[in-house]
Amino acid sequence: MTSATFPSSEPKPSWTRYFSFNTDAKVIGIQYIVLSFFYFLIGGLLAMIIRGELITPAADLVDRTVYNGIYTMHGTIMLFLFIFPVLNGLNNLLIPTMIGAPDMAFPRLNAVAFWLVPIFGTLLIASFFVPGGPAYSGWWSYPPVSLQNPLGNLLSGQGLWITAVALSGVSSIMGAVNFVTTIIRMRAPGMTWFRMPVFCWTALAAQSLQLIGLPALTGGAVMLLFDLIAGTSFYRPEGGGDPVLYQHFFWFYSHPAVYVIILPVFGVFSELFPVYARKPLFGYVYVALASFIIVGLGLIVWVHHMFPSGVAQWMRNLFMVTTMLIAVPTGVKVFAWLGTLWRGKLRLTTPMLFCLGGLFNFVFAGITGIMLATVPVDIHVSNTYFVVGHFHYVIYGAAVMGVFAAIYHWFPKFTGRMPYEGLGKVHFLLTFVGANLNFLPMHPAGLMGMPRRVSSYDPEFAFWNVLASLGAFLLGVSIIPFLLNMVSSWVRGPKATHNPWNAIGLEWLLPSPPAEDNFGEHVPTVIARPYGYGLGQPLVENQAAIERELTLQEATP
Amino acid sequence: MTSSTPRLRPLPLLGLALWVGLLVLVSVWMSRQAYHWLPVQASTAAPLVDGLFSFETGVGTFVFLGVISVMIWVVLMHRAEKYDASDAEPIEGNTKLEVIWTAIPLVLVMGIAVYAIQVNTRLGVLGPMEHIHPGNAVEEVGGYPGDRLPPETVEVIARQWSWEFRYPAAGVSSTELHLAIDQPVTFRLVSDDVIHGFYIPAFRLKQDVVPGTAIDFNLTPTREGRYRLRDSQFSGTWFAANQADVVVEAGDAHAAWLKQAAAQPLQSGISDAVQEYAVRDRKSNPGWATVPPAPPPQVNVPGSNTLPHDA
Amino acid sequence: MTTAIPPTGSITPHGEGGEGHANHSLTGFIIFLCSESVIFLAFFSGYAVLKTSALNWLPAGVEGLEWRMPLINTIVLVSSSGTIWLAETFMARGNLWGFRALWLLTMALGGYFLYGQAVEWSELAFGFTSGTFGGTFYLLTGFHGLHVATGVLLMALMLIKSFLPGNYAKGEQGVQATSLFWHFVDVIWIILFVLIYVWQRH
Repeated sequence: MTSATFPSSEPKPSWTRYFSFNTDAKVIGIQYIVLSFFYFLIGGLLAMIIRGELITPAADLVDRTVYNGIYTMHGTIMLFLFIFPVLNGLNNLLIPTMIGAPDMAFPRLNAVAFWLVPIFGTLLIASFFVPGGPAYSGWWSYPPVSLQNPLGNLLSGQGLWITAVALSGVSSIMGAVNFVTTIIRMRAPGMTWFRMPVFCWTALAAQSLQLIGLPALTGGAVMLLFDLIAGTSFYRPEGGGDPVLYQHFFWFYSHPAVYVIILPVFGVFSELFPVYARKPLFGYVYVALASFIIVGLGLIVWVHHMFPSGVAQWMRNLFMVTTMLIAVPTGVKVFAWLGTLWRGKLRLTTPMLFCLGGLFNFVFAGITGIMLATVPVDIHVSNTYFVVGHFHYVIYGAAVMGVFAAIYHWFPKFTGRMPYEGLGKVHFLLTFVGANLNFLPMHPAGLMGMPRRVSSYDPEFAFWNVLASLGAFLLGVSIIPFLLNMVSSWVRGPKATHNPWNAIGLEWLLPSPPAEDNFGEHVPTVIARPYGYGLGQPLVENQAAIERELTLQEATP
Repeated sequence: MTSSTPRLRPLPLLGLALWVGLLVLVSVWMSRQAYHWLPVQASTAAPLVDGLFSFETGVGTFVFLGVISVMIWVVLMHRAEKYDASDAEPIEGNTKLEVIWTAIPLVLVMGIAVYAIQVNTRLGVLGPMEHIHPGNAVEEVGGYPGDRLPPETVEVIARQWSWEFRYPAAGVSSTELHLAIDQPVTFRLVSDDVIHGFYIPAFRLKQDVVPGTAIDFNLTPTREGRYRLRDSQFSGTWFAANQADVVVEAGDAHAAWLKQAAAQPLQSGISDAVQEYAVRDRKSNPGWATVPPAPPPQVNVPGSNTLPHDA
Repeated sequence: MTTAIPPTGSITPHGEGGEGHANHSLTGFIIFLCSESVIFLAFFSGYAVLKTSALNWLPAGVEGLEWRMPLINTIVLVSSSGTIWLAETFMARGNLWGFRALWLLTMALGGYFLYGQAVEWSELAFGFTSGTFGGTFYLLTGFHGLHVATGVLLMALMLIKSFLPGNYAKGEQGVQATSLFWHFVDVIWIILFVLIYVWQRH
């Protein structure tokens, strides 16, 4: 950011770079996010069909086989093609800029990891068109149902599903190696561990979980694929195999996967609340360390998904206690956010509204989570709509709302344009009301004993299902103002300054949008902790000069 | 939260105390309401589970409303004035508070955990602890080893997609489960194909039925009536239709039913899947591929799964 | 997940981060190896669970596994860990030809191991689909064999690169990473040998 660089004289990069094998993390980040929303629309469309079927008790909208395929693909697409890629997009945009690195540690590997997403995405979508239809055994793919392969073809929807999930694992491992190496090795001078923004802490924690957990799922999936296509019997009871073994492999990864999703969202909350409350993050060190306590505990809770599968009583009690302990580090974070908001000077911008709404939903999900952890209650409500309601509160109510908050907050930084506030607030209102109307009625239905994954149900559940379906349709509509906002503000939105929210952080000391190599040769030296709101001290050396330079550049037409 | 405010004057303190009192009242009311969200209690396990759930609802309501009160308070009271671009007072943390709010959830969840373990233990004594017999269940069941089972045992055979109940002592089989009130019963759960879930919401009990193992499972029904048994572990195309009725009746009525049933000839039991499959075959565009349903089990009493049920 | 990420290349275009000169490849590769070890851990625990809970572990007509030839294979693989270490020592002393010779010897030992594995497979009376015993046996030895083959290929790559002028100007991370990978493959084999060949009683 010295006078040696003249960003304004550089040729404007072509939009076609977003469709090429580009190694710039900021391009890859936007590629991830845009592609993930394409899959989000497909997954959302499937959700509309699901709720359309469930608005009446009978299986009357689609055939039961079609319903089963659709709910399976809805879960798979939303997890592996929406939420993981969109979070990797945020990681790509934020990690290098927040720590002052020019790019990721392995830019080419980064690009390969991204381009695997459309490849396995296409494989998964293609499974709709193979004979027999897509996989239909749920996103858990429990054997023996997942091994039944009704047509007996080598090429089956289930086979494509396993292949796609394995490729997704390869992509995620490549990403995780990259993110962890980047955070460990490429921080700006002076950025010690306890001067690192919380988003990077949570990303580091989440990606460590990927590295530990994902290989177990991949191993389990490889054995499932051999059972399906090579005639082995790892999970086939008739050949001496054990179907419950698969459940251990699956949940050893897939429970931590929830923390892979929610931890970066905790990071987003921790970044945004200080900005819009104009106060330092309350108890920064505790918030940062709590992420790693969640990682440690998160690895020893997986059996709580298997309480009714037939595990020993001592195991049930043990895993109940470890699961409930997760409430402690999570509680530390929630209270820290409240402490940050307390006596702040709140600005209810769109990103702040999404954070507050997300926190509201997350607290609710946390309480139903404690209920689910206790074995006797879990025995009654496991595999019912109570669980479906619980995890949609976590994933949609908290995580997706946190992702929206992040997108609105960092949109100006990486596009150079301001998003529209009015459309943003409409989007928030529709999302918040829609999500609660959709997912709250699932809890009473589940408590009454309505199993999940059903294509038809007894009439006594109809009332709650009608409400849920109306909420779902509202949620479907809520995406329209978002897409309108993104497209119109990216094309013709007001130009963004380098720091429109008056936020503290290395990324806000870059021009909007930043140059390809971020700070290039002139990485500033960090001299303070993040979130110094109200403290009046600079974050980096020569901060005043850097900011003057940026303002000057913005003033020149 | 308020303890972070350095000086507490009596009036705000009174307001806070009143508000907390109100939240406690609402939480107690919610914990009472919680019983109404659940189906009728029809087994010895149900009151225990419901008591725990009610307690959790009370505690959860208090925590939720407490957190939300703070959020609403700050949104209403701590908003920046228009055109006020200044920062707030920089409070970076408070170790005493951190310790307190680490301890509070820890104590709360450990309290709930102790309560839950107690319920778990009592449930274990009452019966619903499962015993697993690994091995080839199909062989074991195919031979009807009735002499090896205690008299009150019911064999449950789960299939894609029907439930069959066998009473080896009485030599009766049925697709409707009949149980005597206040009589402990042992189920031996086996599956012919995939994993199913044996779930009777009114009993608050659930157990996966895993192929390749026979699982013993005990319970005691406590209320006469007609209840639903639902498959709770996704088992394929007609998973949703894999339901059966459970009839809890007085001891003598149960004995009479067994006696009458034993005299009936074997006939096809209930299988909604088989009926739907036959209709589906005639459609021009039936949907995606499916495993064909197992033929309906041959039983003495098909029973019904269309009569009104209590839960 | 079956093949390793190439340890070389993929250096940032600017070649340095904030904390001085750094080629991050070795850090990244170590992180990757930690992750890769979990997949073996998954297979090992699956093997142990299936074995301890099985009613009839061995397929009909199979008495157990012959252990003499695998033991020779084990000795070969363990000693190759020593030769690769020696090769690295030569490299550190700047003796490039000594490095190449021992590197080639390590490759030969790896190649012999694969040959021995292939001979053993061809003589076995059971197949991949012979119950959980056959399944886990071929899965574990096959997945490990794939890693040995990858290691030999990586070594070949490093050997060719050692003839390129200026190859070590930016450091020897490629050689270090390959060597690390080879030790990893070796340790995995020792655990595997104990689990499959030593622990035979059921």
